Amino acid sequence: MSLYEILGTLEIGFVFGLVALGAFLTFRVLDFPDLTVEGSFPLGAAVCAALIVTLDVNPWLATLAAALAGFAAGWLTALLNVRFGILNILAGILVAIALYSINLRIMGGPNKPLLGDPTVFVWLDGFGVPTYKLTPILLGAIVLAVLVGLNLFLRTGYGIAMRAAGANPQMAAAMGIDVGLMKLFGLAIANALTAMAGALFAQVFGAADAYMGIGVIIVGLASVIVGTSILPSRTILQATFACIVGAVLYRLAVALSLNAGWLGLQASDVQLVTAILVAFALIAQRSGAGLRRRLTRGRP
Amino acid sequence: MISLTDIHVTFNKGTPLETKALRGIDLAIPAGEFLTVIGSNGAGKSTALNMIAGTILAERGRVEVDGKDVTRLDAHRRAPFLSRVFQDPKMGTCESLTILENFALAHGRTRPRRFRLATTRSMRDDVKDRVAALGLGLENRLDDKVGLLSGGQRQAVSLLMATTGDTRVLLLDEHTAALDPKTGAFVLDLTRELVATLGLTAVMVTHSMAQALSTGDRTVMLHGGRIIFDAAGERRAALGVEDLLHLFKEQQGTELSDDSLLLD
Repeated sequence: MSLYEILGTLEIGFVFGLVALGAFLTFRVLDFPDLTVEGSFPLGAAVCAALIVTLDVNPWLATLAAALAGFAAGWLTALLNVRFGILNILAGILVAIALYSINLRIMGGPNKPLLGDPTVFVWLDGFGVPTYKLTPILLGAIVLAVLVGLNLFLRTGYGIAMRAAGANPQMAAAMGIDVGLMKLFGLAIANALTAMAGALFAQVFGAADAYMGIGVIIVGLASVIVGTSILPSRTILQATFACIVGAVLYRLAVALSLNAGWLGLQASDVQLVTAILVAFALIAQRSGAGLRRRLTRGRP
Repeated sequence: MISLTDIHVTFNKGTPLETKALRGIDLAIPAGEFLTVIGSNGAGKSTALNMIAGTILAERGRVEVDGKDVTRLDAHRRAPFLSRVFQDPKMGTCESLTILENFALAHGRTRPRRFRLATTRSMRDDVKDRVAALGLGLENRLDDKVGLLSGGQRQAVSLLMATTGDTRVLLLDEHTAALDPKTGAFVLDLTRELVATLGLTAVMVTHSMAQALSTGDRTVMLHGGRIIFDAAGERRAALGVEDLLHLFKEQQGTELSDDSLLLD
């Protein structure tokens, strides 16, 4: 792999680090398998691209607007589940397919190129260093800021209430916590992060596309699983950090397998590689736990 | 403090599985009273407790706590007035949070939660003192996850959490039933001590007649979703487990099978 490819992998890794943090919040903290992200990732991209191209909005503001749109999408999924009792997975799928049509409306077509339009990365031009070297640094800084923010939040009074709502809903209710409200906010935050990732992804690659959401849920989950199975994840800080490392490692694994010429894979095989990697990670996690049990069983 | 008027609860209403769990409960529990509730399986003890806590809403009737009508309030809205300890030690605490964070959760039951760090220095000192009084050595493990504690330790922590803040009512749902006899006795002693020191109004559901008679100030027996027996003061003091069984037979005109109530 060339430096250019490695930096490119880091870029996508960091972008999907945001998706991984969202997946961590829904799957691990709230115990809510949220599939909305398949729609909120392209939603973020669509909102951001449409605002930049059509309305000449400042790219930072456009990215923020994308996050707000994701917030609303997550809120809607949680509302369908909490208020109307629709099964959590189904609620996510419903919102995701609805978003597919909405995204086409927002973009006025299946995609929205950002050719020659300003992005959040334009101001990196002034440093005399090639932009492609600075882009991963900016993305890394964004991910780091979100990581710190999420950690601080999860340690506040509301944050521990959200963790309790996911881990032990009945106890949480007995402690005066509105479990439904925690789901609404948790899913909204997770999807805001995912939509922000979509917005950044579109700006890195110069286009938003209606199909870019396919497999996002798997990538997010894969990052959480890969990260938390190879790094310690006892505390929230460790676990969230592991999610981001997992996202980068996952992208690296995909890039390496697509690069290995002898495998004969091409770019369109990326989803297949994803599915295989996730399946392997899950199997490894299971047999790893089994191995640890076997190793410790003999001890006094 | 707690007043129940003509409470009815039906499960699976309108289906072949329809069960009338509570059929007209009237009960007034004055402030500071420690009530014990006994009854065989399916008598409605747990349903009654869940109905007071708000986990199950009454179909008919009126529930008042401290003069407030809470009949239609969800469990989390009643939490500022009522705290509870569950039968399963895993239920009363959150295992993925540390001991200190669990106390912070309990702290938020009666006081507003904020966007500030949940655990503070003064909270740590306060929790340390309270936990140290248990004599379980937990004061040095405040940052350990609760999932690492034993069932007895978790139940003791649950009790302390339930008596955090200025809640005046404590609901206990067979909270010693899942523990071994020695730990169960420890938790029961702790319960008596906390209720007495803080002057709480308490309702304890139990399977054990002996425990019901030896704890608290008043005992009611539920059967078939009704209160069939209510004793306090001298009348209760004169009662033994045998008398209770006898009374039960008399009131019901039915033979009570030995395994449906524990005699010890």
